[in-house]
This record gives sequence, C-alpha cells and structure tokens, in this order.
Amino acid sequence: MSLSRNFFAGVDVGSLAAKAVILEDGKIYATGLVPSGVNSVESGLTALNLALGSAGLKKEDLKYIVGTGYGRVSAPYANKAVTEITCHAKGANYLHPTVRTIIDMGGQDCKAIRIDQDGAVVDFAMNDKCAAGTGRFLEVMAGVFNVKLDDLGAIALSATDTVPMSSTCTVFAESETISLVARGEKPENILNGIHHSIANRIAGLFSRVGIESDVFFSGGVAKNSGMKTAIEQALKVTIVKPEIDPQLIGALGAAVIARNFAKKEGLWV
Amino acid sequence: MPIKTLEIIRKRLEERPAELQTARQNGQKVVGWVGYNVPEEIIHALGFIPVRIAVGGDDRLVEVGARYASSKTCVFIREIVGAFAENQDPYIQQTDLLAFDATCLQNYRAAEVIEYFFKKDVVVLAVPRNFDWDEAKKYFAHEANEFTRLLEERAGAPLDSARLAESVALYNDIRETLKSIYTFQASRDNVISWEEVYDLIQAGELLDKKEYLSLLQQTLAELKELQPNPVIEADDGDSRLFISGSLIPRGDRKLIGIIKSVGGRIVGDDLWSGILPHLDLDIKEISPAGVALAYLNRTPHAALPYLDLESDRRLKKLHELLSTSKAQGVIYHTLRYCDPFTFKAKETKNVLAKSGIPLLEIHTEYAGSDYEAMKTRVEAFVEMIRIKAEFVEEEALLANA
Repeated sequence: MSLSRNFFAGVDVGSLAAKAVILEDGKIYATGLVPSGVNSVESGLTALNLALGSAGLKKEDLKYIVGTGYGRVSAPYANKAVTEITCHAKGANYLHPTVRTIIDMGGQDCKAIRIDQDGAVVDFAMNDKCAAGTGRFLEVMAGVFNVKLDDLGAIALSATDTVPMSSTCTVFAESETISLVARGEKPENILNGIHHSIANRIAGLFSRVGIESDVFFSGGVAKNSGMKTAIEQALKVTIVKPEIDPQLIGALGAAVIARNFAKKEGLWV
Repeated sequence: MPIKTLEIIRKRLEERPAELQTARQNGQKVVGWVGYNVPEEIIHALGFIPVRIAVGGDDRLVEVGARYASSKTCVFIREIVGAFAENQDPYIQQTDLLAFDATCLQNYRAAEVIEYFFKKDVVVLAVPRNFDWDEAKKYFAHEANEFTRLLEERAGAPLDSARLAESVALYNDIRETLKSIYTFQASRDNVISWEEVYDLIQAGELLDKKEYLSLLQQTLAELKELQPNPVIEADDGDSRLFISGSLIPRGDRKLIGIIKSVGGRIVGDDLWSGILPHLDLDIKEISPAGVALAYLNRTPHAALPYLDLESDRRLKKLHELLSTSKAQGVIYHTLRYCDPFTFKAKETKNVLAKSGIPLLEIHTEYAGSDYEAMKTRVEAFVEMIRIKAEFVEEEALLANA
C-alpha cells in the first residue's frame, strides 16, 4: 500500500461486540465487527484485523488508531483512548452534520448525548447501574421467548396491543414476562410492551439533557426496528436513517478523532 | 516540591488515636460530633476534645449499618451506624459522648439509632427548617442554650465566657488560615493540590486544635516561600473542575481518585466535608446562641428547604466559588439516598447552564461496582471541557490573527 495515502482507524470494544472502522481521508474505507470475547485486547485486535484484511492493509499502514468503548482501558494497539460518548458524537456528526441528539444503546449501557454543529458533546446522561435499556436486557428477553435477538423488533411491531410492563429491572422483568405469558398474553404484545417500557425509561434520560432535532440512534440496539419505533413515539421525534450499520458509529467517531489527532501531531501526509 | 508540614500532619494523624486514649486516661472526655450546624467552639470551650465522626467508602460497613437503620438511609449515615455497630474505628472507640445536629433528618435518625442500639450518650441540637425566619433564629438560639446545658451537665462545669472567647478566636484563626491555604491549590503552577488541601481540612477534624492551627500556619509559610504570588488562572490543558453535592468523608476517595486518573483537576468545592463550613462564619456575640446563630447564618445546608432559586444563598455561593476558582465545570456528587442533594441536582444544573457552566451528576454509593461506569462519565466530561476550551482558544487565536 502506498505510504502517501492516509488511513486512520477507530476500534470500539463494547461488552457484546468489537467494532473497527478504517477511514481514508474523508471516507469509510473498511469495517470489521466481531462478538466480544473475554479478552478485550484480543477482541479489539480481531475487529481491527478483520477491517485491515478486508481492505488489504497492514496495521503499519495506519497513521493513527484511537480506541474506545469499555475496552479502551486496555488497547495497546491504539495511540490514544477516548470515551465512547465523545466518539459517538463525532461519528454521528461525521455522517449527519445536522444531528444534535444521539441515543446510544449498547450492550451494557444506554446514553443520551447532545452535540453541537461540530460534533462536540454539549451534555450527556447515562443509565445508572442497571441493565434496563441495554442490549443485554433484550438478549434476556429474547431468551425468555426463545426467539433470535435480531427478530425481537419485528415481532414487537407485529403486535395488536401493548401489554404494560411495570418492571425494567432485567431479573424482575424476566419473571414478570413469564407471569404475563402464563396469563395468556400474546408474546408479540408483551414484547411490544417491553420495547415501550424501555423507550419510556430512555425518555427519562432525555429529561436531563433535552432533545434537539435531528435525532440519531446508534449502538447495536439501534438495529432493532421495534425499539426505533417505540423511541420515536416516546420522544415524539423522527430518527434519522443511518447510512451505515449504527453499531459502527462509535468506531467511526474514534477513526475521525484519530484523523484529527494525526493532523495535530503532524502525521498527516 | 513536597510540603514538609503535610508529612508531619500525616504522622500526627497516625499518632492521634493513641494520644486520645492517653488524654482520656488522664480524665479528659472526647466528644464525637456529626452535623453541619454543630457549634464545635462550645464543645471545645467546655474542655472536651472534639473529633468529627465521618467514616466513608466502606460498603461492608454500610451493609452492617442497614441491620439497624433503614436500607433507604443514605450510605454515609448507614456506614456511621455500621461503624458504631462494629466499634473498630479508632476515633469511635475513643468517644465518651456524641453530639449530633438535626440539620439533616437522616443525621437525627442516626443519633436515635446509635443511642438505642449501642447505648451511647447522645446530645442532639435541634435545627429549624425555615432557617431564614426570625422566629426560627429565636428557636435555634433557645436550642443552642439547651444543647450547651446538656453538655455542661456532662462536663461537670458551666461554660466560661472567657474560654468560649478563646475557642472562638482559635477557630477563627484556623478558618482564616485554611482560606489562605485554599487559594494556593487553585492557582497556576500550584505547589499544593486540592486533594492535599482537602486532606488537610479533614485532618483538622481530628487533631488538637491549637496544634492544628500551628501546623496550618507552618504549611502556609512553606507555601508562601515556594509560591510567593499565587494567581488563580488556568494552566494550559487544564480541565478545572469543581466538586459540589453530597459530602465526601475520610475514607471515601473513589470519585476524587477517578477525576485524577482521567486528567481532571479539582480546583474548588462547596462540600460539607470540605471548605464550605469554614466560610462566612461571623460570630458577633460570644455566647452559645451567638456562636450557633453564626453557624446557621452561613451558606445553608441542602437539607434545609428553600424554594426560591433567585435568592437561594447556596446557589449564590456556588456561583461565587466557581468564579473565584475559575472552574470550567461542576461534578455534582450525590450519594445514594442522600435526598437533599439528589433532589437539587436538576435545578442546580439548569441554573448553572444559564451561566454556561456544565454540570455532571455522579450518583453513587460506596460499592465498587459502578467504578468503570463512573470513570466513563467523568472522562467524557473532562473530554467535553477540554474540547470546549480548545475551541475557545482557537477562536481567540483567529480573532487575534
């Protein structure tokens, strides 16, 4: 690969998936996405190598790497570590400069982020020590109904009714769901209720930071169409359609920041 | 360069429990106090040795405390109750008598629980809710006299006015010296950190007051020599943070450690366990009521209700301290079930937003399970402030170009 070309990478190691995005100047050049393992260093490297391999690049071709996600604390392959909050802001701004509000729902947490026209964070809030509104919560619910995680949203959207779900604690919600099934409620109506109860909880997060259009939905849960619809209804907004897999936004933002750092440090050719 | 006196203070703190034991063997009594409005000068003037009971940061003791106090009591109070239950804390072991105030009702509840379950001798100072009413001040003056009478009974002697005047003068000197030292930590090229000053303030809760004043004066002299002209302004790349909210007692350094680990710099606080109680205490009359009223007239504790944001002295003080310390953001620390501060988080955030000061609320307890989540929040907040500062710097450069 020619050394005159400028490649930058962002690696986002989350609790459920590791993601990598390689950026060449102004465009996304390659991506990689793998399930996270126990070893966060290996997970990050696997995602990065997947992206490098698909682009026919070597790690040495990268001018700068930024690590993010919970795995950022142990990312020896990265030049710098930046929080996922800052990275999601930059990633969403890179794709859609008109975005001012981001909902990020990942494997183990959920964030409400407000940004300015440059993609800088203005305010943010995260869910407190609880799995409600996270990928892990939905994974447990998928297990209760014995359906694939990817199908949850579509099933919820096929509901004819919304069964109210009073609990958003993963453990209590699981037992409440089992009770509702035993009572004869239809699975799709229960799942619809679950999605709406999470969406209402997220609306609570936004009461702390405010909402401004346009609104973007990132993270693995953003692939869930039922959740997108429930959030749109709870927040009374229309969510911008993402141009790429929304699970890659954190890694994309990290790659954008990597490019900025490289420029600042004089590594940009 | 390290401040030599700080080392002496650390050593003296290690020696202090044994010293208290010896003092008690020689007939002196130790009063453990808990509260925002406990007039310590009165305790001191009666010949007692005052020590502040302020354990924190131990989740196991919180669980022990929950066997006696409700699990919905704030973690700080639960830990205090747990510490009395176990009786392993060297200062708790040395207390002959306890003095609580009822500023926060959870504090008052702790007094009841400790008296009931652990058979401790407890004196409680009642505190009016509507602290700015004239009737409330009359009531508080009466309660301060009653509080003094109860202490006099235990001291076996009446309060002497001359001794009270001496104690007030000593405490005033301590407060003034602390304020002078505090300026240094917020300065450019600071030789003492906020964390060191915070520890220094809390050392005063335990050490002998005359010795403490002398050590503070030594510290100040050292600081003046090392940094003759401290100027409070931002260093390059600083993320100047101010800590507000629930108290952070000795033993609890989780949030402070996280802030430091992500490159944030604390430059000020208005914590009940920090500089705030030492500010604006103006004793006009040497009497129990005069001392107590001066305490009540300081910046009020969050547990005392006050609904008008425009005239709220707490917010006014916060603004003043933010301006003095040139802080760029506030980390608002709320302890689980510490309702007075938790309830005020949103309104404080909204008020500060009008002045362009961002606020991050960190709601936590003493368990370590939320460490990483807290770290992510604080780190992102520091990044946010840094990016904002860089933008302002670039704008200034462009304007001057």
